[in-house]
Amino acid sequence: MSTLAMPQIDQSVLNSREKIVRDLKRFTNPINVIADVEGIVPYETDALTAYKQKPMAVVLPESTAEVSDILKYCHKHNIKVVPRGAGTGLSGGALPLADCVLLGLSKFNKILEIDFENRCVVTQPGVTNLSLTKAVEHNGFYYAPDPSSQIACSIGGNIAENSGGVHSLKYGTTTNNVLGVEVVLMDGTVMRFGGKKLESEGYDLLGIITGSEGLLGILTEVTVKILKKPQSVKALLLGFQSIENAGQCVSDIISGGIIPGGMEVMDKPLIKATDDYSKAGYPRDVEAILIVELDGTESEVNVLIKKVEEIAKKNKATYLRISKNDEERLRFWLGRKAAFPAIGDMSPDYLCMDGTIPRKKLPEVLREITKLSQKHGLRVANCFHAGDGNLHPLIMFDSNIKSELKRAEKFGADILKYCVKVGGVLTGEHGVGVEKRDLMCEMFNDEDIQQQLNIKQAFDDKSLLNPGKVYPVLHRCAEGGKMHVHKGDIKFKDIPRF
Amino acid sequence: MSEIYSPSSESEVVDFIKNCNSGEIPIEILGHNSKPIGRLIQCSKSLHLKNLNGIIEYFPEELYIKVKAGTSLSIIEVELDKKNQELSFEPSDMGFLYSGKSNKGSIGGAVACNLSGSRRFKAGALRDHILGFQGVNGKGEIIKSGGTVVKNVTGYDVSKLITGSYGTLVALTEIVLKVQPKNEETQTLLIHNINLKRALNIFSKAMHTSVEISGACFYPAKVLNFFKLNDLDTSTSITAIRLEGPRISVLERINTLKKVFDEYKKTISVLEHYQSKIFWKDTTDLQFFNNSLQVVLKIILPPIHTDQFLNKFENEELKYVVDWAGNLIWVEIPENDSVLFRQLRNEAIKLGGHMTIIKAPNHVRIKEEFLTTIDENIKVLSLKIKESFDPKKILNPGKMYSGA
Repeated sequence: MSTLAMPQIDQSVLNSREKIVRDLKRFTNPINVIADVEGIVPYETDALTAYKQKPMAVVLPESTAEVSDILKYCHKHNIKVVPRGAGTGLSGGALPLADCVLLGLSKFNKILEIDFENRCVVTQPGVTNLSLTKAVEHNGFYYAPDPSSQIACSIGGNIAENSGGVHSLKYGTTTNNVLGVEVVLMDGTVMRFGGKKLESEGYDLLGIITGSEGLLGILTEVTVKILKKPQSVKALLLGFQSIENAGQCVSDIISGGIIPGGMEVMDKPLIKATDDYSKAGYPRDVEAILIVELDGTESEVNVLIKKVEEIAKKNKATYLRISKNDEERLRFWLGRKAAFPAIGDMSPDYLCMDGTIPRKKLPEVLREITKLSQKHGLRVANCFHAGDGNLHPLIMFDSNIKSELKRAEKFGADILKYCVKVGGVLTGEHGVGVEKRDLMCEMFNDEDIQQQLNIKQAFDDKSLLNPGKVYPVLHRCAEGGKMHVHKGDIKFKDIPRF
Repeated sequence: MSEIYSPSSESEVVDFIKNCNSGEIPIEILGHNSKPIGRLIQCSKSLHLKNLNGIIEYFPEELYIKVKAGTSLSIIEVELDKKNQELSFEPSDMGFLYSGKSNKGSIGGAVACNLSGSRRFKAGALRDHILGFQGVNGKGEIIKSGGTVVKNVTGYDVSKLITGSYGTLVALTEIVLKVQPKNEETQTLLIHNINLKRALNIFSKAMHTSVEISGACFYPAKVLNFFKLNDLDTSTSITAIRLEGPRISVLERINTLKKVFDEYKKTISVLEHYQSKIFWKDTTDLQFFNNSLQVVLKIILPPIHTDQFLNKFENEELKYVVDWAGNLIWVEIPENDSVLFRQLRNEAIKLGGHMTIIKAPNHVRIKEEFLTTIDENIKVLSLKIKESFDPKKILNPGKMYSGA
């Protein structure tokens, strides 16, 4: 386990633990307050398992009023609160603090209203992302953002992290698909931002709360928009003899006026790993494969497929296959979606990075990653959401060999720094959390960070809500940890990750 | 008259705001001064950003453009058009409303007002297309957020907070916007002579199919006379649905819709590409209220309440147009009818919506609040956010509501 600088523990709060636990039981059904060690253990980490910390107590409120009462109480008594959705986050956003009350939203698990007329769903935040689509698909509708963990991650967590998915170039990320929230601020104030209407007046409070990683308020209700499913979806599987050709093909597709629903690149090490693991039938004699998924009406998709085919040939694609049916299309995706477990099979441990880069920089960044791989003496495989520039290098190492975790972390930090150097960003969809917190200075200067801290202050004057996340403690810029997976022992290992 | 300062560099903006901050001198921030919108404010100094203009970088294959905040929206659109791209939130040319002639103003002004055109319900608002910004806060500090990529969760999404903040948080200096390829073909299905209730049902029905409509508006007959299109019959109400995309797809989807709305087949017609473009440009540019001397209001409601809302004012003979598939009502009311003004606002609030003054004579802008916000908690939070950027409240003070 790695160590991490966190906000100073408030000993006076810890000393009052018994009283606090007693008091919390006044605000909700006493069985919703967990204070025994065994009960607390499941909450000591999220999916970034390199870091663990038991909270002082866990509380699982059942209503907005309960959340408000608990926060009001904690605010009054200067008790830190860490919110938690499904705990599937990859950046340690729900990592507890020793002197915190961990506030879990697992009991907010009901869909409140399906409103086809206004094309939206009103739900409690603990409902999983996929359940929203399941609830409306009988009428041909779906909820667009599809993070890979969608069977388990909660919609409240999606809003906290502004989750993406493989279709974000065309359909946007969470922020473009949320209409409204009910939120409780740290002092217990309950507010509503947005609603069933398309937009609100005044400052875009919905916009700032989305992606704020649980630092500004706790969500208790969510309204999301739903879309009609496209009539037809087809995919191309393309193979190239160089990353440059694959990268150029991506650029030419976009310059050609085509916005694919999804577009994914895998490099040679990952092709081998995923094909060995999933038997997807990928070509093995290529340096890179590119999956392009197109959706729309039947004839539109056919026209676009033809255009992409021409662009691929122009860019010297040596392998080209068009899905004949949905089964074949899903097979194209099979290997890509098995990327994480496939790497887990190849290496006792791996770190998953999450930078975003300008698409055209892909060959340059991959060359740099190869160089860094040699420098740090560790293997790496790369997958890339080419549509939106989100790169996930998977760094392989063995934590039993002394210094390898440290080297892997250093390697990861070097990759992210390079992403920023070429005009990209530190995190595309996993969030900053504690994982990339200490790299924030790569992208922002003190004034930028201070401005964001001042915004935090406007919502949470005592800085009690999820402190120690996103922004460096004491503005210290050093290398942080990454999503570390040991012996495939990923938390929620049954959840696909891509 | 306030003293005008027109800097030509970001560092000059910094120096100017720092000085004003230390002297606690309020500043009115303007782009091209094309949109007299917001509460009327009086400042001893005025900061014009029109000289802070030019395209910093434009990478069509990366789908973004980075510009200085005072850059003319028209110039940006011309540049994008060369690469067959556009801003898909369809920015309005508000010049027609305010002055009777084209004046799109600056991109900084458009961002500050978060105004989006008819495609908004499909493509998102301007706020969904801003990838990053740089600006100067009330302390004279340069701050930035976001980047040039669509997938970015590094830190708070401050770009969203800045969009629609009417210059009360920062003086924008640089803006990064997402751009999209232009659609090859546009066609519009028109259904004539039906009432609003039916029109709203049609929008809803169309959105329950997979045809992906990108425009849906309703014009009552009495506001139609400004259109000058050969194939547009303006004698009765018009319900219009736009389809965009590859030509083959648009043709196919038009036919699908014709089948869905077979019961109206006697009153259905189709506007071809060229006329369709003009129809939606005129709609987005609010040509129906061209150079209005009355009070023009923007009312946003959950679409299911739109009919109920307008029914309530049946006897008032409101001049209105419904856009965004029923989510938006543009209304024009007489400048001296403050009773009606308040009835409209109250009814909008009652139905979960809000009403914003878009254009009004000064005496109305002094008397009536620009925004609807009634939630005191939101007002308090907004004020704290304002102070977090601008502690001495010198940037466009009171432009949104008193204090912010």
